[in-house]
Amino acid sequence: MTAPLITSGALSPSYDLFFALLIGIAFGFFLERAGFGSARKLVAQFYLTDLSVFKVMFTALVTAMVGVIVLNRVGFLNIGELPLIGTYIVPMMAGGLILGVGFVIGGY
Amino acid sequence: MKSSFVQETGARPAPYMNPYLAGAGLGLVLLAAFVVAGRGLGASGAFATSVSYVVNLVAPAHTADNPFYQKYLSRASNPFKDWLFIEVLGVMIGGFLSGMLARRVARTIERGPRISDRGRLALAFAGGMLVSFGAQFARGCTSGQSITGGALLNMGSWAFTLSVFAGAYGAAYFLRREWK
Repeated sequence: MTAPLITSGALSPSYDLFFALLIGIAFGFFLERAGFGSARKLVAQFYLTDLSVFKVMFTALVTAMVGVIVLNRVGFLNIGELPLIGTYIVPMMAGGLILGVGFVIGGY
Repeated sequence: MKSSFVQETGARPAPYMNPYLAGAGLGLVLLAAFVVAGRGLGASGAFATSVSYVVNLVAPAHTADNPFYQKYLSRASNPFKDWLFIEVLGVMIGGFLSGMLARRVARTIERGPRISDRGRLALAFAGGMLVSFGAQFARGCTSGQSITGGALLNMGSWAFTLSVFAGAYGAAYFLRREWK
């Protein structure tokens, strides 16, 4: 298993922050391309007039998910090194509800 | 797609990307973060880093024995030499680049026709407070929990994501004057 490249030592950790910047730029680029720089477009999801949030989010999930499974099966990516978050069901659901309400109020 | 881009003239903004294409792009960015750094995408963590830094400047006694702040302050020499913080700087650059290329960069306050600019800004501030509070409560936001945790099938992340949609759909009716 050679990936994650930085955790396995295949890539020097000194590239870590440089890579963070590159990933961030690509992340921001696609978010804006999708129209997520616009509060009205984001919020339209919750008035059912534009379902972009749903389409973009779940396409991203499925794409990454399939990639992770395939790269793991071919022996390249070690799933054990990926960031699993513990389950704290009550605070996570309460936080989600609060964030969801804030999303419609604030627009982002 | 190319031909419609060439036909664009003047200040008319380019149309948004097909949502499924943009989603696949985001998914590949997330996969790249997994493969190279073993990390996911995030946003709220960078704000927690900034808040911890400022609180530590004005009230070091308060942060000294507070585990929440110490988590963000204890990083090596500089709390801003942090993966998520640098990543969020990149998000701003990438978003601005995309907006410029599509001629969408403009000074504007987005709102529906039935609310004033001031009202919209006040609600934006209030909404931002709720979002950051909720994100800290849930250990992540729509980037760190919904997208990153969701792709890894973290159970808490899915409970969080469904709650976000439930909260937003539930509140939308009461805020229609802000947007429609």
